[in-house]
Amino acid sequence: MEFGEESSPALAFEKDAFELTVEDVYDISYVIGRDLLKISSTGEEVSDLQFRIVRVLEMFEALVNKSNLSVEELKMERDNLKSELDRLGRLGTVTGPNQLLVDLTDPNRPRFTMQELKEVLQERNQLKAQLMVAQEELQLFKSGILPQAEPAMVEVDLDTPDSTERNPATLSDVKEEKTTIGKL
Amino acid sequence: MAKKTYDLLFKLLLIGDSGVGKTCVLFRFSDDAFNTTFISTIGIDFKIKTVELQGKKIKLQIWDTAGQERFHTITTSYYRGAMGIMLVYDITNAKSFENISKWLRNIDEHANEDVERMLLGNKCDMEDKRVVPKAKGEQIAREHGIRFFETSAKANINIEKAFLTLAEDILRKTPVKEPNSENVDISSGSGVTGWKSKCCS
Repeated sequence: MEFGEESSPALAFEKDAFELTVEDVYDISYVIGRDLLKISSTGEEVSDLQFRIVRVLEMFEALVNKSNLSVEELKMERDNLKSELDRLGRLGTVTGPNQLLVDLTDPNRPRFTMQELKEVLQERNQLKAQLMVAQEELQLFKSGILPQAEPAMVEVDLDTPDSTERNPATLSDVKEEKTTIGKL
Repeated sequence: MAKKTYDLLFKLLLIGDSGVGKTCVLFRFSDDAFNTTFISTIGIDFKIKTVELQGKKIKLQIWDTAGQERFHTITTSYYRGAMGIMLVYDITNAKSFENISKWLRNIDEHANEDVERMLLGNKCDMEDKRVVPKAKGEQIAREHGIRFFETSAKANINIEKAFLTLAEDILRKTPVKEPNSENVDISSGSGVTGWKSKCCS
């Protein structure tokens, strides 16, 4: 134990400067202090020198301490960025200038295409148009203008030229938008 | 045998920036009502109103578009079938006025050449918040040779007048054809204008 205590503080002198810890600085201080005791007689010069050496060692301690903390901070920063990058990577979306980052856990995230919306709106409007026609007819039947047997009052023109049932190729070409209101 | 409940069908279209009051203008005309809660139109919607002009029953099918840019591809596909287009701005919103030229360009690109156009400066009841002078609206309308009204859907100012005027302008251009206007075919599916392609669906 004694031997160990004796020899280990001196090892601090062998270390790489950038790997020094505050403990190493204490070891160095200890060794220098011990050596100073050996040469010390009385005398102004020596005690002045001792004072300065102590001061320098204190500054050394502060510098090592600071540099160790900075390294620690940078390491944490790096780890945070790494895990953030992993998280974004898992979302599968790499964001570029014209790209949108989609949060897959957001129940309100966009998930339908413009084409799908278009089709839904078309169908909605078509049904709305048909409802209006039906309501109109109903009104006329009710008011007795039409005998029951008559054919439909308002002609529902069901063939929508070109637009609907063709092969998909033409479908996309044709400006098919409004197949809807052929019936009004 | 089948009789129509109307003689002619005109398709109109409302366009303009989001929030200028297109839906409210239409709602005032079709239902004579006004709603203060703002619900952004999703893509495209329509309403029907039958009016009588020069002894003719005219069914107006009025398409209401979303002003938001994200619906652009959907809404522009409806320009083609329109016989009349109302371009609406908000007199309390300078940006909506500046964008008129953008909307006019859309009409040029996507609508029929002979479409009737009309400019409406809506919300004219809000005089205290006005930022677009009436004269500026009149000027830009004159420059483009189109009609102009200041309207208020809320206070019911000029709404009916605007729609009827637009319908009259279209009626004036409509060739008086087959008295039994049996087949007023407005299936714009093929991209032809309604009133040109009447008889042959």
